[in-house]
Amino acid sequence: MLRVTISIIALLAACSTPVLANSLIGPGPRAGIAKSRISASPAGEWNKLSLSGGKNVEVWTLDGDSLNKVTFFGGIAAGQPLLRERDKKNSPLPKVASNMLVTDIPTLLETTYRSQYAVNQMAIDTQAPAQLGGHAGIRFTYNFTKSDDVRRKGEAFGAMVNGQLYLVAYEAPQIYFFDKDIEKFRTLATSIKL
Amino acid sequence: MRRSLALLASALIACAGSAAHAVDPTLALPTYTAAYEPTNVDERGLWMQADEAERRMRDSPLRIRDGNLEKYLLGVLCREVGQERCAGVRLYAMEDPQFNASMMPNGAMFVQSGFLLRVRNEGELAAVLGHEFAHFELRHGLNGFKNRRTGTDVMAWVTVLGGISNTPTGSTQLSLVGSIFRFNRDQETAADLLGLKYIAQSGYPAHSASEIWKSLMAEQEATARGRKLKAKQHFTAGFFDTHPTPLSRAVYLAQEADKLPAGGDPRKQELQDALAPYLPRFLAAQNKLNDFGGTDYILSNLAARSGWTSDLLFARGELYRARANPRDLQLASQFYREAKAAGYAAPDLDRNLGLALIRNGQVEEGRAALSAYLMAAPEASDAAIIHTLMAN
Repeated sequence: MLRVTISIIALLAACSTPVLANSLIGPGPRAGIAKSRISASPAGEWNKLSLSGGKNVEVWTLDGDSLNKVTFFGGIAAGQPLLRERDKKNSPLPKVASNMLVTDIPTLLETTYRSQYAVNQMAIDTQAPAQLGGHAGIRFTYNFTKSDDVRRKGEAFGAMVNGQLYLVAYEAPQIYFFDKDIEKFRTLATSIKL
Repeated sequence: MRRSLALLASALIACAGSAAHAVDPTLALPTYTAAYEPTNVDERGLWMQADEAERRMRDSPLRIRDGNLEKYLLGVLCREVGQERCAGVRLYAMEDPQFNASMMPNGAMFVQSGFLLRVRNEGELAAVLGHEFAHFELRHGLNGFKNRRTGTDVMAWVTVLGGISNTPTGSTQLSLVGSIFRFNRDQETAADLLGLKYIAQSGYPAHSASEIWKSLMAEQEATARGRKLKAKQHFTAGFFDTHPTPLSRAVYLAQEADKLPAGGDPRKQELQDALAPYLPRFLAAQNKLNDFGGTDYILSNLAARSGWTSDLLFARGELYRARANPRDLQLASQFYREAKAAGYAAPDLDRNLGLALIRNGQVEEGRAALSAYLMAAPEASDAAIIHTLMAN
């Protein structure tokens, strides 16, 4: 009986490892982030999560994605949602449009979060012009509360390039974590090339 | 003289109302036991969980603490079920755009903002609050709870699986917490019928309860149309559905309401006044749900109550601007301008009008609107990005 249990556990472990494989991102240049033209050179180590939420989405973290989370959205084409839709029919997500203005990018992120994660409180705080990989775009900050009742803050850089949306967002709890790692994120974001 | 006549008339009407109730013994409310305490181990466990859930909701950032909203809602409940019954109730208003209100067995009631956006008068609001209170009075939370204990095991598993698959379990967790206090179909029907007795006592129109289900069905249809889906109307409740379908509910509530005294004033204006300060906020949240058909239906519903006010026109502009087909952008600009004409004063109107115009290729007009925004709000947190949009 014990042997059977052990072999079942071993089998489960073998099956689940590739699915759950997170990987270490070392310092230095790295290309093809989010299966797209995004490349960056992180100054320190990050962890890449295997689960991202979408086809052209990649998630990096330092201590776990509920504590500090960097999401890369790499060239989301017109007509596509930011994240994979959980229920296309009954809770469809808003889609990228090629004629979006830069100020529509924060709104798109907010409506996506409200539909996908049942975020009932979210606000865009500041919006300012900024560069992303040498393209004119927007830098915006926001705050939101998910159903775990933790207040989180976010900061993101986004740009529309050839009708596709490039966006990189950093999110962390308002208490302690946001301020702890925001500079690491800003360094990472300024190293991005498209 | 005229005033005293009116007083006399209203006194007579009041007498007539109570006389009607006295005549019909089936409308009398059952005796009510206040300050009930849980009696056995299951019930105590259930109450402990309810107390914990209540503490969490009480301290939640989603609770609507500003103004007198919770006080007003409690007032409506008291008018509906009577002072004796409502005395021990704690009522919490929560910011959640879904249509829902619920009451736990320990006497805590939750009312969600999405529900407040959908009721058209105080009578409908009272009907739903009364229905939830009826579950509480009939102690439906406990009946059948033993059979559903496994529900909590499911929740533990969903939490674990969610951690692995990185899917958001938040809403599942809440809905399963809800499932501990979920009622079966017979209980729903019993609560509907006791709810009707409250209505008969309260003086709200007898048809309030059926009206709200009809409106809910119409909204579901509008949502389906907006998403180009076939309207999903269950004519019979599925085996696993816990609630009677809106259709069967509207039908039997209407039939039962016909047997009641017709009732009086639905107090439309009172509801409108109480919700007015919160309306822009609730509408903004509804607008961001990516549900064009449903939101448009809600807006028309509200407009039927109050006419197209500046807040409603502005929200309609936001709705059309978000969908952003060329025809939508055209209409959005029109709605913004109508909102301005109707007295919408905040500078964000010019901002959003300008953005809609620019996105629609009307660059010159758009620039003019944006510069009006910057004149009115030069220190706005997005002033710099609006400047760059004007320059391009």
